[in-house]
Amino acid sequence: MNPIIQVKHFSKKYGDFTAVDDISFTVDEGSIFAFLGPNGAGKSTTINTLCTILDKTEGALTINGHDVARERSLVRKDIGIVFQDSTLDSQMTVEENLKYHCSFYKVPKNEVQERIDFALDLVELTEWKRAVVGSLSGGMKRRAEIARGLVHDPKVLFLDEPTTGLDPQTRANVWEYIRRLQKQKNMTIFLTTHYMDEAEVCSKIVIMDHGKIVAHDTPENLKHQYTGTEVDVVCTSTEPLESALQERDISYRKDGNKLVFHTKKAPAALEILSEHRETITDFEVKNGTLNEVFLAITGKEIREL
Amino acid sequence: MNPITAILQRNLLNYVRSKGRVLGALFMSMFMLVMFSFLMKSSMSGLDAPMNYLISGVIIMSVFQVSVNNSSDILSDISSGYMKEVLVAPIARTQISMGHILSGAVIATLQGVVTMIVGIVLGLRVNVLQILLLAAVMMVSAMAFSAIGLFLATVSRNSPAFQTISSMIMMPLTFVSGAYIPTTIIPVFLLPIVYLNPLTYTTSIFRYIALGAHTLTTEGLVEQGMAFSIGGFVITPLMGLAITVLIGSFFFVLCVRKFNRADFSTIKVAAGMRGGGAPARR
Repeated sequence: MNPIIQVKHFSKKYGDFTAVDDISFTVDEGSIFAFLGPNGAGKSTTINTLCTILDKTEGALTINGHDVARERSLVRKDIGIVFQDSTLDSQMTVEENLKYHCSFYKVPKNEVQERIDFALDLVELTEWKRAVVGSLSGGMKRRAEIARGLVHDPKVLFLDEPTTGLDPQTRANVWEYIRRLQKQKNMTIFLTTHYMDEAEVCSKIVIMDHGKIVAHDTPENLKHQYTGTEVDVVCTSTEPLESALQERDISYRKDGNKLVFHTKKAPAALEILSEHRETITDFEVKNGTLNEVFLAITGKEIREL
Repeated sequence: MNPITAILQRNLLNYVRSKGRVLGALFMSMFMLVMFSFLMKSSMSGLDAPMNYLISGVIIMSVFQVSVNNSSDILSDISSGYMKEVLVAPIARTQISMGHILSGAVIATLQGVVTMIVGIVLGLRVNVLQILLLAAVMMVSAMAFSAIGLFLATVSRNSPAFQTISSMIMMPLTFVSGAYIPTTIIPVFLLPIVYLNPLTYTTSIFRYIALGAHTLTTEGLVEQGMAFSIGGFVITPLMGLAITVLIGSFFFVLCVRKFNRADFSTIKVAAGMRGGGAPARR
């Protein structure tokens, strides 16, 4: 796959403060790419620079082969952006917001209505197209914003915290739209999020901390690398299993007749479990989560931040 | 739709929809007209057509104020976040500036025309040709004023600062423009400001048309404060209009440069303001 976004040795300084410190990464065309990190890690700085509204201090950043600093209007044509804070005109209706957006992006006149209808249909706002944006709920505004971001058929859609502040159901819907988009239009999606579980669906993840990239891989590889498998076993008698674990030098926690231990790989647990299957009344195997990955890498829970 | 037209249309639509603004603006122009034309009539007894002299001054002043004040629309765009949507769009920064300048100018001109109609009821004597010429001058000067206003708005970054800065600049410029106080009686040490003030020239061409003063000689125009003799060099009303356009273009370039600077930290500041409530629309 072709990298549609290329970032090489990008740095951004505000006076003495280094917000982004020499980062490099690429994003494949048609993929969903997630940027994770605590607040102040440099995610928004990077997105704003890619979106041509912030100047870089150093480095080379290109989108679809165009330099974001020197070929701004070419880059602007190729991207759609949903910012963290609303950028809708709250006095206008949903449809008017999209209509003016089409004028700004020079969408051919005969396609405007069709594209607006498609985008509103995708985010299920067709019934609300004549509603004034200011009267909509937060979730609807976000959906309207997503619809606007894609109405000009961008090559890359940037979503800065697209689901923050939304209720779980709306969050799930927004993800549904994002996946549908990526499939139907082969659009590249570049997003930042606070919710680690949401990043599971991404093809690649970059974790940033203190302006640096601390991890860059697929969710599976990251989980494999940074987390193990947790096994919870309920036994009739715990002694045989305990001695088996001690033999293998595996630390465990005892909780009544329940034992909790960690292994690097699930099949390793299978071996121990099958050896003691007579004494086991119940068991549960939990795979590592991205939350644990994040914790292992940054030493912080992302939601605490 | 061309991006300039799109920005213009959107701003006008928002203006028309906020009925309070439209009514407030109309009330203000009428109030000014009635106040000035009746209160100051007596002090202008030496003139041939005192109503034409006064009302034309009031009209151009309201055009000036409305066009500068409407520039603060861009501040509500900044605080509401909409400015970001415009800035990331593939629109030339000249088009963004032009769209905003045009919308301020169109609103100001429309308001000026309404004021002119009320003025006719109150005793302004003008023919159709004069009305058309006056409207054209209003539009041209309103664009220059809007450019100044837009620049002030982008510099001041938030509504309270803009209010302070704009009134700080508007008040003195109004008083030394000749609209209310004839330039001929303004003290000599203030004359440099009079000559640098774009309002001086718009007032002069406006009066020149409203009074039908093309029959006057150059000396006559200078005497009446419609032309200005600087060390023997006479600035005619038409030259004055050209100077206004020049000053307007200068500020237009400044606005474009302001929008071109990619580091739009102003937007960050404004986004932070949202928690405290968006600045009130007048």
